[in-house]
Amino acid sequence: MVMKRPEIPRKMCPVIFLLDTSGSMDGAPLGAVNRAIENVLPELISMNNDNPDNEIKVAVMTFDYDAKWIVGETELLSPDDVSKSWRDLKATGYTSMGAAFRALNDKLSVSHGFMQRASGSVAPVLFLLSDGEPTDDYKAGLQILQQNNWYKIAVRVAVGYGEANYDILREFTGNEGTVLHTNDTDELKNTIRFVAVTSSRVASQGSSVSPDDPNANPDDNTQTVANALQNQGGNLNAKLDPEDDF
Amino acid sequence: MANFFRLTKNQHVELADGRTVTVTDKLGEGGQGIVYRVRFDTCEERALKWFFIGYLKDPQKFYSRLQKNIDDGAPSDAFLWPEQLTKYVAGEPFGYVMKLYPQGYESFAKFLLAKVQPQSNAAWVNAALNIVDAFKSLHNKGYNYQDLNDGNFSINPTNGKVLICDNDNVVPYGEESGILGKARYMAPEVVRGDKKPDTHTDEFSLAVVLFMLFVGYHPLEGKRTNFPVLTTKYEKRIYGENPLFIFDEQDKSNAPHETLHKYAPAMWNNLPSFVRKTFQRAFSQESLLEGRNRPLGQDWFNVLVRLKSSIVRCPFCGEEIFLESDAPTTCYNCKRSIKAAGYLKFKSRASQEVTAPIFRDAVLYDYHMDSSSKDFLTAAAVVLEKPGKFGLKNNSRSKWIVTTPDGRTFTRQPGETQVLVADCKIDFGNGSSAQVIVNN
Repeated sequence: MVMKRPEIPRKMCPVIFLLDTSGSMDGAPLGAVNRAIENVLPELISMNNDNPDNEIKVAVMTFDYDAKWIVGETELLSPDDVSKSWRDLKATGYTSMGAAFRALNDKLSVSHGFMQRASGSVAPVLFLLSDGEPTDDYKAGLQILQQNNWYKIAVRVAVGYGEANYDILREFTGNEGTVLHTNDTDELKNTIRFVAVTSSRVASQGSSVSPDDPNANPDDNTQTVANALQNQGGNLNAKLDPEDDF
Repeated sequence: MANFFRLTKNQHVELADGRTVTVTDKLGEGGQGIVYRVRFDTCEERALKWFFIGYLKDPQKFYSRLQKNIDDGAPSDAFLWPEQLTKYVAGEPFGYVMKLYPQGYESFAKFLLAKVQPQSNAAWVNAALNIVDAFKSLHNKGYNYQDLNDGNFSINPTNGKVLICDNDNVVPYGEESGILGKARYMAPEVVRGDKKPDTHTDEFSLAVVLFMLFVGYHPLEGKRTNFPVLTTKYEKRIYGENPLFIFDEQDKSNAPHETLHKYAPAMWNNLPSFVRKTFQRAFSQESLLEGRNRPLGQDWFNVLVRLKSSIVRCPFCGEEIFLESDAPTTCYNCKRSIKAAGYLKFKSRASQEVTAPIFRDAVLYDYHMDSSSKDFLTAAAVVLEKPGKFGLKNNSRSKWIVTTPDGRTFTRQPGETQVLVADCKIDFGNGSSAQVIVNN
């Protein structure tokens, strides 16, 4: 026998999904979202298996009549645990995006939210999906969220579907390079997966690549992901066969 | 034109020499590109690294440098070196083929996450020696690695063989790859922006890797670096501007955190004093803030062979331990104190002391028999114990000349065993000799 090696402590890399489950998402679009999340989780598990620096933990919020934490009400969970307990989402009601932003703001806190981690955290990924106009005062919610320091350093990405309001998604991310839009349900699944996986990889693995622009703000993690989405993108217009989409 | 950012299954890719490979699978993806499994028409398989060229400042220059590295050849067998580039078309992505990972190797990350454990201390020390050796051969060839980090290695847990991948940022000395490295592994002067990566900063990254290999934690992450969020500001502070070794002798303010780094003291104390001292030198304030007096690859090599010959089993509980030559060692498992009766003192190498404890089953290698040998794998002698005496069995190919303190000499042929007596001297031939020193 030899001395057993300990597990190195890792920082937490929170990956937080805010998913629009308003009535208009019912049917094929929500089906695409459900399949996409199912496909993303194994990728996050595999990233965790090989990353000694940071560990991805997941939260999922849906918003329709109100905002509701499906995963993360008490604490962020490992993608493995989320995968084991995942149930398909259902769509109904309005698009309470302002409520979603306020609920997110409440949790983005070390003292009273879910950001407590003994070994600390790296910038979280905030992933927003919507297919329509907010039905509440999104602006008031966003203004509160924008004051949150976690929001400021976060990787902010958004996927719009159908009638989604691009300007609002753009307002949420603060960067047009991290807002992607599609009108096609097949493409929706691939877009969610691509955006979620790329942003999670960049946020959790950091990068050995030196910035092209030495004056760029190194903590603008959203811009780093915008570059990654541009540089690492596949052809998102192609209708990819899932078997071929590796 | 097809979009070649990402390749798809069954896609054909033309190599620079005109041959074609077919994509059969995806093996992995990182920040710089994707690795695919590909096949030649002959059914021979390879890995294809395919770059996200949007990140490359000057793709053509990068391509030419890879071509030159291919022409010059791998520094040693440990490197999964580029074999052949794909055809270059201006503005389009490219990549190179290399050998596939053989079976039996596990990523260094898996060891750090304790998902894989080394099978023996010998395998573990071999892994460290193989890493040091590989980087020595890289530096001797005039290259530096520039992006040495935990993602670059795979280790075979059974024998400690090492494979080094991601060799695309390797550049000749004096040139820049444009890659700064991964903050946790970068030399503080690079983190601070005072210097660009070079051979000397590689030496620092190597010490970080070795520390993480043996202690399992990062050398600069202790109780004072535990910030709620790691931003660039804190990253610069921890790894560049205000770095402090967790086992700094003078300043204990960054000692291991008692819960986060709970096992760090035990892992550290399991190492003999000469290894701890070398780490203290590698992470001294002088090294961290001025980049001076860092152990070089050859220093590490000699320290690690000494470590390997200190491997014995605890006589009380049977666990593998590293035994000090001239001081008591506490077994990490049964906590009992063990002391060698004495030790063999060799001539120092590259100003590093060379000793081996006289203790049952301690092994000497070809390295000890020949002052120019770097062979740490071939066992050449073993310490035997019988009631009241120790012997050293000659398993080498040379005869030994033994001189007693009163001036008598004996010859010991291969296969024979020499009784070890205080102050007697053994000449192993080939410029190497050792003296028996008895511990008080």
